[in-house]
Amino acid sequence: MAKGNWTSAIFLLLLFLFFSGDAFADSLKIHCTDCHYRTKFIEGYKKSVHGSIGCTGCHTSFESLDNHVILKEKPKLISCGTCHNDIEKQYRNSFHYLYEDFRCQDCHYEIHSLKPEKENFKIAVTKNCTKCHTNDEYALSGHGAAVIQGNKDSATCSDCHGLHDTKAYHTSGELYLLEAREFYNKTCKACHADKEMMERNNISLNAVKYYEETYHGKVQDLGYPTSVAGCADCHTTHNILPRSNPASSIHPKNLTKNCGKCHHGIHARFAEYKAHPDYRDKKRYPLLYASFLLMVVLLLVTFGFFWTHTLLWWRKVYWDKHRMEELGIKLESPFTHKESIQEIKRFSVTDRVMHVLLIVSFFGLVITGFPLKYHSTPWAGAIIRALGGAHNAGFYHRIAAVILIGLFFYTLWRCFRFAFPKGFRKEGWRGFKARIFGPDSLMPNTQDWRQFKAMVKWFFGKGKPPTFGRWTYWEKFDFLSVFWGMVAIGGSGVTLWAPELASHVYPGWVFNIASIIHSEEALLATLFIFTVHFFNTHLIPSKFPMDTIIFTGSYKLEELWRFRTPEYERLVKEGKLDGLKVKHPSITLKIVSSMFGHASLWIGLIFTLILLWTFFFA
Amino acid sequence: MGSIMSKYHRKQITKGLAIVVISILPFLLSCTASPTQKKGQGNVDPAMLVSLVKEKNAAVIDTMSYLECMDHRIPGSQCIALEELDKKLPVALPDKKQPIIFYCESDKCPRAGLSHDKAKLLGYKNIYVLDGGLSAWKRAGHEVETIQRVKRAPVVSIKSTKLQTLLKENKNLFILDVRSEDAFKANHIDGAKNIPFYMLHKRLHEVPKKVPVIVVDENGKRSFLACCYLINNGVIDVTRLFGGMESMGHQERSKG
Repeated sequence: MAKGNWTSAIFLLLLFLFFSGDAFADSLKIHCTDCHYRTKFIEGYKKSVHGSIGCTGCHTSFESLDNHVILKEKPKLISCGTCHNDIEKQYRNSFHYLYEDFRCQDCHYEIHSLKPEKENFKIAVTKNCTKCHTNDEYALSGHGAAVIQGNKDSATCSDCHGLHDTKAYHTSGELYLLEAREFYNKTCKACHADKEMMERNNISLNAVKYYEETYHGKVQDLGYPTSVAGCADCHTTHNILPRSNPASSIHPKNLTKNCGKCHHGIHARFAEYKAHPDYRDKKRYPLLYASFLLMVVLLLVTFGFFWTHTLLWWRKVYWDKHRMEELGIKLESPFTHKESIQEIKRFSVTDRVMHVLLIVSFFGLVITGFPLKYHSTPWAGAIIRALGGAHNAGFYHRIAAVILIGLFFYTLWRCFRFAFPKGFRKEGWRGFKARIFGPDSLMPNTQDWRQFKAMVKWFFGKGKPPTFGRWTYWEKFDFLSVFWGMVAIGGSGVTLWAPELASHVYPGWVFNIASIIHSEEALLATLFIFTVHFFNTHLIPSKFPMDTIIFTGSYKLEELWRFRTPEYERLVKEGKLDGLKVKHPSITLKIVSSMFGHASLWIGLIFTLILLWTFFFA
Repeated sequence: MGSIMSKYHRKQITKGLAIVVISILPFLLSCTASPTQKKGQGNVDPAMLVSLVKEKNAAVIDTMSYLECMDHRIPGSQCIALEELDKKLPVALPDKKQPIIFYCESDKCPRAGLSHDKAKLLGYKNIYVLDGGLSAWKRAGHEVETIQRVKRAPVVSIKSTKLQTLLKENKNLFILDVRSEDAFKANHIDGAKNIPFYMLHKRLHEVPKKVPVIVVDENGKRSFLACCYLINNGVIDVTRLFGGMESMGHQERSKG
């Protein structure tokens, strides 16, 4: 019995110990909170966002708990990136990590009782960032004030600067000038181009679009935001307030000072410039609208007329040529072979040099200017990059402009000399009218009107083709239109070149009009030269592919006689023909003329195709 | 063919081509004239630093202050501040042929370059500078080591305009300039006290605990840590100057 009892007792004891082992172990086990007993580690932690993973979920790197308990081993720094690896990746490039060596807990202060900010994330971000970045300006600004009032659209710190990927830009602006400006311009536009968001916040809907139509906007869109005013230059970075607020940088009272940050030496009326106007809005910007309308009408009328003229002309010449080839008709000539190949001088060396300079400057202006007009196209960026940037392109544009303006004034001087070869006095006025409306003058007269009518009749097969004097009516138009063009494009160009100086003469809104006129007149001039002038002078079937007379200076007697009979007869009558006889141009001159001419012609034609592509597809 | 093309014609063609080539040449030359930036001699990137340490046992030297260096540095570096280089470098590295790599906190800090020049004068032969400093090291994905971290605290910053207003108001301020002695001698804010950052832990007692302190550094990059250190050590009111002494000279942006 006794033996049996002992055995049963030992068995029961073992059974008890076996089942109660856990309970014993539990009472012997050391909990982190036994030592770390502060509320934030117990209550705070349980309710925190990390409450379910336990202490060792983060504090993983213990070698020996025993050593830790006797304060011989300190846990290593925890790595939040083990779980939050996407954020860690972003944070590795953050300003706070790279330059200040901030770690997670430096912003997420009470990491043990951390809770997600569900109520208003934007307010929470603002509050946290402004613990260090105590920007009164920001708190007062339109954005900050709206955030605090609970506006969920308004930008909080992280909307512009990033949350975990804060760029090094904002404190090292001078180091990353380009990146910073590109980044912040984009950031502003991201919201301000969102029409729905702007509408529900009662902010102007198309400010970004209209800004991009201005010089500032175009240059920055081309990729050179350091050269021009971006959003923050005028609206400031944090103290962004509505125009009506006297503390706002764009309040009328502060505008002159604001513009004056970049534009030194301006008159107060400089600030009347509109930084993002809508030229289509005739109520708010009537003059701007009128300027745009005027330019559009001018473009339509000019091209409507000249393209029709050119098309009819080409048809007539081509059809006549075809008929002559078909019937084997050869043109009759009153000259012997030797006579007919005699070269007759048409342009002087000065004329030719001027035209070469005109081509160089005109092409320079077109190539450096049009990328700005069509800034968002891929070809625009490529050209500007090839030229070494917007700054260089602007420099070349101004050099070309100086050449062109020089040519213009020299032409004016030559016109004056032509009208008054003997000065202004009594003697000088003698024969003035005859000179101005005479055969050597480029002034249109009744003869031109008759020739034009005859030409139109001939286009439709009624009557013979007219013959011309020294200058045809379209040559006179080419010459005279430059005078209007130079006033419009040169005047506006000079204004835009030195707006600071111009503000002492006229108010800032003139710059807006000047921009439209400069841009549209450039389009008019360019398309006119590359289509109408090129066709009339080079591409017409009788001269195709090119007439190099403007470079070589002379043509054949036969050509003079056939096309400009009255001029030939006049020269014979006045005994001037022999004086105009020159040698056949040298092979050097012909090679150079042909290469330069073809290069110019092809550049122009290719550029026209690019423009057409831009109109219809870009 | 030779008979058809006379000598005169050939001469004319050559002349023509020469004119064309000469007129095109400036354009071609202008296309090729893009300046390329050369790396300064002795500059290394983080990968080269690693291999120099491995293969040539290069010494890596943090040229920032002791506090900054202990807070975070490239693993295994030695802390020798630029200001103490003359004294400490010959003791730490007696072998003048041993390769040395200096680095700074960031890419806008001249301390590594200045240390390079000083070491050269001391007779060291193989001196390198880590391009882009510690931030480049971090950007390359390398870790840093922390010996004694300065606990970060919220530090308020003020801009130079605000500081100037405060100075005009004659408030009781302690302006602490943590730049080097030389920089302080060159220019400083009237009434500022100079305790270079590398001395701050030794001369902490000179900073009053109950007077508002405004910390001024070179360009605003270092004052934050100095402020945190002061806050951790019981200084109650600590502010830093945004942009450092560089921001004290007002600069206007010009067009273009």
